[in-house]
Parts: sequence; C-alpha cells; structure tokens
Amino acid sequence: MSIPKPGPTPVPMSKPFWSATAQGQLVVQRCQGCGTHQHYPRVVCRHCWLTELDWVTCSGDGRVWTYTVVHRPGHPAWEPEVPYVLALVELDEGPRLMTNIVNIAPAEMRVGLAVRAVFDDTADTSLVHFAPVDRPLPTP
Amino acid sequence: MGSNGIRDRVAIVGMGCTPFTEHWRKSTDDLVLEASTAAATSAGLGYAELDAFWLGTLDSGVSGLTLSKPLKLDYKPVSRLENMCATGSDAFRNACYAVASGAFDTAMAIGVEKLKDSGISGLATGGGGGDGTAAELSAPAMFSLLSPAYAHKYGVAEPELKEVLTRIAWKNHKNGALNPLAQFRKEVPKETIANSPRVAGALGVFDCSGVADGAAAAIIVRAEDAYEYTDQPLFVKALSLTAGPATGASDPGYDYTSFPEVVHCATDAYQQAGIRDPREQLGLAEVHDCFTPTELVLMEDLGFAERGLAWKDVLAGAFDLDGVLPVNPDGGLKSFGHPIGASGLRMLFECWLQLRGQADQRQIDNGRDLALTHNLGGQPGACVSFISVVGTTRD
Ligand SMILES: [Zn+2]
Repeated sequence: MSIPKPGPTPVPMSKPFWSATAQGQLVVQRCQGCGTHQHYPRVVCRHCWLTELDWVTCSGDGRVWTYTVVHRPGHPAWEPEVPYVLALVELDEGPRLMTNIVNIAPAEMRVGLAVRAVFDDTADTSLVHFAPVDRPLPTP
Repeated sequence: MGSNGIRDRVAIVGMGCTPFTEHWRKSTDDLVLEASTAAATSAGLGYAELDAFWLGTLDSGVSGLTLSKPLKLDYKPVSRLENMCATGSDAFRNACYAVASGAFDTAMAIGVEKLKDSGISGLATGGGGGDGTAAELSAPAMFSLLSPAYAHKYGVAEPELKEVLTRIAWKNHKNGALNPLAQFRKEVPKETIANSPRVAGALGVFDCSGVADGAAAAIIVRAEDAYEYTDQPLFVKALSLTAGPATGASDPGYDYTSFPEVVHCATDAYQQAGIRDPREQLGLAEVHDCFTPTELVLMEDLGFAERGLAWKDVLAGAFDLDGVLPVNPDGGLKSFGHPIGASGLRMLFECWLQLRGQADQRQIDNGRDLALTHNLGGQPGACVSFISVVGTTRD
C-alpha cells in the first residue's frame, strides 16, 4: 500500500500562486511602492509594509543557493523517491524558495547551478519544481 | 538598548545530571527526581529550602506539575517553559533572573526529556507558522544545507569538507568515550564515520547527535551567599538569548554559512562577561553540535575561529580536548545524547565539573577559569540562540 503524498492546501492568500502553476507559470508578489519582489505571499511588503501588492510572472530562472540530498524522508510518502534533491533556489527576481531539483543526479548538484521552473501537474495541484536550464523536462 | 546583564549577581552551587541514554526503565518522574536530588544534595539543600523552580521540557510535560508531583513540592512556584532545543538553557536563564531580582534566595533550574516510549520515534516537530511555508524537511536535512553553502563560499572542496565534518564527530565521540554519563561511550574510527549510511546531503548517521532521555539540574543562589553552600561555586558572568526574524529560508540576505542569531548572542554575552578574546580567555566551551556542520559554523559565529577558517582549525585539532580551546569535552550532543529539554543544563554540568577539577579523565588543565555554553533552537535561517558564561571567581 502506498501512502498518498499530502499536497498543498491553497488559501485565499496563496490561491493566485497555485492558479498560476496550473497554467504553467510561476508568479510572486511585487510591491507597487518599492518594487520589491517577495515569496511566500504575504499581506504586506516585507520591505516597506505597503499593502498594495501585485502578482507578477517570473522568468522561471534562478540559481541554486544551497541544497541537500534526502536519503531519509521527513514523511513516509516520499520513501519510494529517495535519494532526491531539495534545494533553496534564488529566483532571478530575488526571492528564494525551497523546491525539488528534478532531472539531475544527486552527484551533479552544485551551488550556483542555473535552473528553470518546470511544472508537475501529476498531482491534484500543479507543483513547481526546477530542472537544470540545459535539461528541461520533456513536455508531458 | 541591549541587555545590562547580571554579571556576578548569582551563582551555581549545586548540579546534577542523569546518564543520557534510552531510559526504557525510567519515567519522566524518575529522571527529574534523580537530577533534582543530585543537584540539591550537592548544594546541601532539601527541596523545602528551595524557593522557586523552572522546568524546561519540550515534550515531557506542559506545566509545573511535571516537577511538583514527583518532588512532592508543597505549593512552591514551579514554571514550565519551552524554547525549542534551547529549552534547558532558558529554564536556567529564568531561574538566574529570579534570584538576581531578589524575588527568591534560591532557585532550581531543571531540564528533562523522555522520548523513548512516548509513542513517537525521536522528535515530532510541528509545522511552521501556519503561513503555508512549512517544508517537509528532516532536522538533518535542514542543517545539511549549511555544508554546500559553506564549501562554496570559502572554496573548500567537497571531500575536504566531509573530512572536516568527520573529524568533528570523531573528536566528540573520543571525548564521550571518557564520559560515564554519555549515551555513546566509544571511540569511532574516522572511516566508520565517513562511510556511515547517508541521511541528508553530506551527513551520515554519525554526523547526527543521539536521541536520548535524560535530565539535568542546577541550584542557583545569590552570589554573596554562594560560599555558604559550597567551596567551589560558579558565578554567572553572562546570559544571552536571541530570537531571529526566522525569514532565512524565504528571504534573500541569509547565506547559510552562519547563524546571525548566534553572532548577536555572542556579542551580547561577551560584553556582559567582559570577554575580548574568547579563544584565549575561555577554558572550554560546550556548543550545540546537533549535526557536525553546526559545530563547524558555530566556531566562527562564537569567535573561536576566523570567518572561513574554522575548517582549518578543526583539522588542526584546535578544539580537541588538548587543543587551544577544548569544545564539547563531555562529548557534546553528538555522543552525550540530546534529550531536548535537558541539553542546555547538561552543557552547564560539564562546565561545573571542569571548572571545579572534577572531570576525571577528561579534565582540562589550561589554567583558565571561564567556560561557555551555547544552545541553539530551530534551524538555519530560523532559530533562537542562548549563551552563558560562567566562572570560578567573583570579580
Ligand atoms: Zn515595498
């Protein structure tokens, strides 16, 4: 028996993010006042506290800031997938997110690796992962 | 702004610590009783003569009753508190402040954790702040993020960094082998450590601290009364606690090669204690080596090594038992074990033994009379840091 993976639970604040991933787009918030990009979604700008925030589409490009290879998953649902790569990716727009790096062998991982967003819509909610820029996933 | 500190206003006059191990045959009650009795006895005090109690535990109780019941305390003030892995240290901190304020003449700080037959394996860590950002990362995975970032920033090759991490675990096992209270009392060859099954990133099983049960306690009195209880009190020089903004993982600016919380905490603690050069002035340091990369980074954050050079100091043996500044002479979290609520007081217990010349085979003899404990709660990018400095003389 396989244990189902718990998926994200979109809430009003994060709904635009998940609606975008379903369209194959990565969006983050940008402050109308100071132009700061931020992720995760919040009600105020983390830089100037303005509440007027837009959702903007990112290029999807970023670089690996640091990473780990999971050999012992934090949740049993991921047991069949070890070893897998988790990384902190810094988007070209500035914000960082913790994400899976796919289409790469753990030994190939390195800090600074250029990666691009790919979308996994096999789950109920389309998840954003990243793959090396020169190795995009084949379109499903 | 900042802390004024309570340098030399309170003293530790008794301590006790249980063995840290998988205590299948002992309950939380047994553990707190054992540590409390040892601490009170070493101060020559009965529970009736103790005025107030602070109990630190993450998961083994939610109120003061966890202590008052087994100790049969009659209507005494007992607080229970929690601050992640810095829980025991925060219990100590609060007890010290209570005595320094004049509210009480004597107080006990005690930490306990009893995980082994609690129905869960290891620690159940709660999700984040309910903002949807909680990541399904194990504790070793969180701390393993330090390694690639550190290696990249300072140009250390991956195999070389692995050697550094291995040496930290090897050193702490070597120290723990000399400690009758430690969970793991065996030296482990470097090859065994380096080739142990991988858990996360560069970390193998031997890069991780032991999950143990245990308790440790301290008796705190007014500094001017200290010699009424013992010929060898320890005077509290500094107590510092910092909580960071916890935004490291999502916001740029945090680089995963340091704990800024610890840097701020150390500045505060050294100012309180009047320490200018910790590497030269401290006789020993007990630090939060939950995983080997944590100890590496802490050497720089605590000012024991130059930024970017701690890895060289580790390889040169600077923090060995006979090094320039012995770090984790009791074996640390790595081999003494990590019963969350008890760990901060266990660190202090080693300072108590070492500065009083009671550490037997582990005894450090470098002529210095100050010791430091450092306790971390949380993870890189989101943590609390605690530092204490204690010494044998009242200035
Ligand atoms: Zn703004």
